[in-house]
Amino acid sequence: MTLIGQLALALALLLALYSIGANILGLRRRGDDLVVSARHALWAMTAMVGLAAGALWSGLLRSDFSLEYVASYSSTTLPTVYKITALWGGQQGSLLFWTLLLSIFTAIVAFQTRARNAEIAPYVLIVMAAVAVFFLGMLNLVTRPFDAMIPAPAQGTDLNPLLQNYWMAIHPPSLYTGYVSTTVPFAFACAALMTRRLDDGWIRSTRRWALFSWFFLTLGNMFGARWAYEVLGWGGYWAWDPVENAAFMPWLVMTAYLHSVMVQERKDMLKVWNLALIGMAFALTLFGTFITRSGVISSVHSFTQSGLGPYFLTFLLMVVIGYSGLLLSRLKDLRSPAELESYLSREAAFLFNNLILVGIAFAVFWGTIFPVISEAVRGVKITVGPPFFNKVNGPLALALMFLMGVGPLIAWRRATRKNLVQSFAAPAAAAIVAGLFAFYGGVRHWYVLTGFSLAAFVLATVVVEFERGVVARGRMVHESPPRALVNLVAKNNRRYGGYIVHIGLVFAFIAIIGSSFFKTEIKRSVREGQSFEVGPYRLVYLGLSSLDTPHLEDLGARLSVMRNGKMLEVLEPAKLLYKRQQQPATRVAIRSTLGSDLYVVLAGVDDQSGLATFDVFLTPLVSWLWLGGLTMALGTVVTMWPNAREREAIAAAARRRMGDLERELAIDVRGA
Amino acid sequence: MRIKPRFLIGGGLIVAAIAYLIVIGIRSTSEYYLTVDEAAARQSELLGQPVRVAGRVKAGSIAWDPSSLSLSFAIAPLPPEDGVKVEPVSMRPQQEIKVLCKGQPKPDMFAAGRDVIVEGRFTGPNFVSADQVMTSCPSKYRAKKAG
Repeated sequence: MTLIGQLALALALLLALYSIGANILGLRRRGDDLVVSARHALWAMTAMVGLAAGALWSGLLRSDFSLEYVASYSSTTLPTVYKITALWGGQQGSLLFWTLLLSIFTAIVAFQTRARNAEIAPYVLIVMAAVAVFFLGMLNLVTRPFDAMIPAPAQGTDLNPLLQNYWMAIHPPSLYTGYVSTTVPFAFACAALMTRRLDDGWIRSTRRWALFSWFFLTLGNMFGARWAYEVLGWGGYWAWDPVENAAFMPWLVMTAYLHSVMVQERKDMLKVWNLALIGMAFALTLFGTFITRSGVISSVHSFTQSGLGPYFLTFLLMVVIGYSGLLLSRLKDLRSPAELESYLSREAAFLFNNLILVGIAFAVFWGTIFPVISEAVRGVKITVGPPFFNKVNGPLALALMFLMGVGPLIAWRRATRKNLVQSFAAPAAAAIVAGLFAFYGGVRHWYVLTGFSLAAFVLATVVVEFERGVVARGRMVHESPPRALVNLVAKNNRRYGGYIVHIGLVFAFIAIIGSSFFKTEIKRSVREGQSFEVGPYRLVYLGLSSLDTPHLEDLGARLSVMRNGKMLEVLEPAKLLYKRQQQPATRVAIRSTLGSDLYVVLAGVDDQSGLATFDVFLTPLVSWLWLGGLTMALGTVVTMWPNAREREAIAAAARRRMGDLERELAIDVRGA
Repeated sequence: MRIKPRFLIGGGLIVAAIAYLIVIGIRSTSEYYLTVDEAAARQSELLGQPVRVAGRVKAGSIAWDPSSLSLSFAIAPLPPEDGVKVEPVSMRPQQEIKVLCKGQPKPDMFAAGRDVIVEGRFTGPNFVSADQVMTSCPSKYRAKKAG
């Protein structure tokens, strides 16, 4: 197994290098055979990386402790599902997994560009293969997943207990998929710059890839938050830890990108900006990996630290410098005749939303690297914690919400007074009503009042848009409202999918406000039979129950939850002890409703006094975060759904290009 | 795209506002992140200021009272990383800082010999009142190799 894996990785590296060489030669000599061969080499590379991943999986499933990786991150008692996920539980494996995803995407792009985008395909594939060379180089030379353990131990050290959780089974793959798939639009952007084909072709060709990436970044961030919420047992889901920030920044920049490309497609503006954004997004994914792997910035949950930092930093700098140079050298070709005409226009709203999204990303970036910078400049390490991020991003989030309401309704180019009144009268009214409602409900914090008002504003703009569309269809094609609604979304899925995403974000926004401003925490130590109150609930401690398996000890405390004298359910928070590593962990018990979550942690049991200590949180509205994340994911799927009109547009563009080509050929023939 | 001056003003205002928020944010929320030695050396000037101190929990120093949720322990400097040359300091007594954290449950992974980050303020000589004690996850659990 060791040998197969090592050989496969070495071959994959050689194939990637060959593919780059063949493509370069093919471009020089205009040799189609070489370009085809380069493509085949990438498919073979993918097969080799797949083989290597298969070998490591097989080692994990067979508990083959002669592999150092398996001995370090698995054990015979580890449940099978976590043996599979242990592939990304440690550093070498997670880099292998990363490379596997990259190879699969490269193979798909190589397949998609057989006929389409033939002019730029070799460039795209050179860039993707170059990224693969970096990762394969690391796997072959620096951090090798197939190193042997001699002598092989009888038992492995086991996977970190915090990672033995189902959210951890799906969070890293989602996030990695989101990270790695930014490579595709990035490679197309590089190719467009290299070939000076700087129209919006590269954007149209990678629209789905960008959405695909955003979809997984969204889910990845949400699963990560959910994991933190369920496993870490502190009642929160987001702590502005460097590792979380690293996942959040690419999401922000990709969000900005998805909006600003619309301006380019529609108005032929913001060309340089879009190219810069995709470069930033890709660089931030590398930066994210750099942070988690290098240990430069101490994080409470970097599970895998090592000396990979310098390599990643070098590669990151090469990418940033190389890409900036390429972009600067093409500035002349990127001039656009169109210009911004009015503050009151959709272009302006999009531009400002972009500035704010990138501004948030920058603030997060700055706060994350601040300790390193302060140490370098002033010789003292100064950190900023969650208060910094909340303080800076709070107002920015409100501004973003406002623009999210304005963007979809305001006219392109220049809004007239009539357009403004017609579009925004109802949403503005909704905002005022929601604000008053919250005020009468006893909310006095201006942040919360503004937040709820803006949430209502955005929801109302989306409702107005849907209503307009349904009414128009009813008038034009005489459809009943439900049918019109379905057809409206089906026929304009890009636009209405986007609105569904907006609804999801509003849900998440409401959840964040509710859980940040109205959370209560109560800590109590009680004896069996005693009870205590948390908000509307009364919790009665019934006693302990314990379970002992070869893998872990499970010490649970049973609490019955009462409300108005009625028994609702029995919660069983527990302390776990993973035997292999002698590491304790927490199992949180959550009673979740749309209104609020009752979140109970068994903080400790004192054997002598029989006192059990509970840490209980009552967090309003937090469920809407998960609901919002799922709604955003659903909206993204709607936006990505194949659409007849779009296929026609792409086909027409291809025909146009073919026409150009034929004309060029005709001229060539005449010339010769 | 050429940008008319009046739009540069608008964009400039947004950028300036973001920069302002960042500067103010850093100024009002930053904390010193210190090792035990650094913290001990500068404690008089840091008195009452928010600090984060990273250290290793000393064996035999832990006292945990579950009924009042009070955890007290001492932290010692982190040993130098592998590969860093160690100066002979064996003659000097090891610096330590006492920590008292009240009102928080004991973190799962808290134990003697674990690396922790203590967030709080100096309230006395070599004494930190902590709001929070964070255990950093030991990143690797590999068995020590022979030799």
